[in-house]
Amino acid sequence: MANHRVGETGLTDSGPSSNHHHHHNIPYAVLHGMNVPPSFMHQEGSAFDFGELEEAIVLQGVKIRNDEAKPPLFTAGRPAATLEMFPSWPMRFQQTPRGSSKSGEESTDSGSGVNTISSKTENQVEPESPISKKTSSLDQQQQVEMASDISRTGTSQNQSAAAKTPQEKRRGSTSEKQLDAKTLRRLAQNREAARKSRLRKKAYVQQLESSRIKLTQLEQDLQRARSQGFFLGGCAGTVGNISSGAAIFDMEYSRWLEDDQRHMSELRTGLNAHLSDSDLRIIVDSYISHYDEIFRLKVAAAKADVFHLITGMWTTPAERCFLWMGGFRPSDLIKMLISQLDPLTEQQVMGIYSLQHSSQQAEEALTQGLEQLQQSLTDTIAGGPVIDGMQQMAVALGKLANLEGFVRQADNLRQQTLHQLSRILTVRQAARCFLMIGEYYGRLRALSSLWASRPRESMMSEDHSCQTTTELQMVQPSQNHFSNF
Amino acid sequence: MHYQGDYYWGYYMPTRSIGSDPMERVVKLASEKAVVIFSLSSCCMCHAVKRLFCGMGVNPTVYELDQDPRGKDLETALMRLLGNSQPVPVVFIGGKLIGAMDRVMASHINGTLVPLLKEAGALWL
Repeated sequence: MANHRVGETGLTDSGPSSNHHHHHNIPYAVLHGMNVPPSFMHQEGSAFDFGELEEAIVLQGVKIRNDEAKPPLFTAGRPAATLEMFPSWPMRFQQTPRGSSKSGEESTDSGSGVNTISSKTENQVEPESPISKKTSSLDQQQQVEMASDISRTGTSQNQSAAAKTPQEKRRGSTSEKQLDAKTLRRLAQNREAARKSRLRKKAYVQQLESSRIKLTQLEQDLQRARSQGFFLGGCAGTVGNISSGAAIFDMEYSRWLEDDQRHMSELRTGLNAHLSDSDLRIIVDSYISHYDEIFRLKVAAAKADVFHLITGMWTTPAERCFLWMGGFRPSDLIKMLISQLDPLTEQQVMGIYSLQHSSQQAEEALTQGLEQLQQSLTDTIAGGPVIDGMQQMAVALGKLANLEGFVRQADNLRQQTLHQLSRILTVRQAARCFLMIGEYYGRLRALSSLWASRPRESMMSEDHSCQTTTELQMVQPSQNHFSNF
Repeated sequence: MHYQGDYYWGYYMPTRSIGSDPMERVVKLASEKAVVIFSLSSCCMCHAVKRLFCGMGVNPTVYELDQDPRGKDLETALMRLLGNSQPVPVVFIGGKLIGAMDRVMASHINGTLVPLLKEAGALWL
């Protein structure tokens, strides 16, 4: 708006003025380093505005004057006061004594005089005040006055308003009717200007907030995509962070997660509908084959990029905390389930504890095997004279290839554990058990999302809208995470 | 664990008299002890299998094929036996082939390994 108007009026004068073109939403007072009370800066559509304050003050003054039955006059003294307010803005306008030129027109606005904004353009002034971007119908000289009024602090405004009233008292030649109309019109224009200013500020703040939300969402998406290996344009192999095998697995895994949701809701409805055991068995078996599928996918992924699995970059951060050899630790899973699987028969209890025991032994064996691999690798590449570096590296590469075997065995262990669970438990118990497993990992994934979007205390003082936006984010996570709750 | 070296073999089995068929050797060796593991000293998965049995309190008999002069033949035979690219580790219990690491772990998880060990006399508790 500012630039447009400047173009119209052709004003390109002083340096300080031209700088103001772009600050159309920063209050003049702040721009010029005036001491603005914080309450004036943080109003977003609040009821308080300068127009109303001034109106109240002036009306009070009017009331006093009316009581005195000697209506003072707004005269050309006002423009002088206005000019003093903006010493850095050379005003190129014709100085006409306001009283004489306007009295004729204003006599038509009798006592009501609230909102008649006449389209006078007797002055070619472009005030360039940030607040004074009024509609072209407003009187420009009055724009200047309004700008000065609105951007003043409350105290100085009080002072100037108070200063006006003695001035008004001194020149007591205009009729009471004129004064009222003029004052009222000016008040109305002030209100209008203040309202417009509020609206502009509100719009700007809303724009800022929505941009902020968008930015944080974009960052989240980018982070998620990086950790899951999605890249635009399918340039997965070339972008260095992630191999094509890993990218393919990440895509398959995310599809698997969607399937997981579907299976879980099937389990849930199946349990709630009290299906027969044979019907429920079908659902449970399909859930087991659903898990068999991910283990199959992981075999191929281990072959393609074992480090992607081992480092857990295919999972979420919270899941990564509990990672063991590229996946969940079976004995941990059983520990989690044991308390929730009641009631169990004695035989079942023994079966579960024996399962936990044997999986612990198997995990320990695999861990020790991996430790030996690490030791062997260290021995190969560490120290010693680097007589044949390439040979050394070749041997090390061969040893590193064994990682794939360990991840495969770990996945095998996971698969066997799930199968054994379904053998020990009854159909209903197995359905509940798998539902519990699915929900547990769903919550772990949700935890990761919440963690990523949690509000940070250090940002609170800088930007008090931060809290709002992060709260918004926290209620927005994907269906995957919260459908179980 | 009992490690079978050349001397031991030489004492018990003059290598020429038993058929040079590696598969026969494998079967023969497997049936002599309760728990037999064919291994390579450099193989980490073999180390894991050994730790698994030791962790259960079992005392397996281990043949390190890289320390056997005809180990290569045995490896080939084992690969044929399992249909696997990895010759080792291979586990026999009570003369019966259990398989490679995945089968061993599967049988441990599904609870069939311990009864087999008890049956072969490798485990008493």
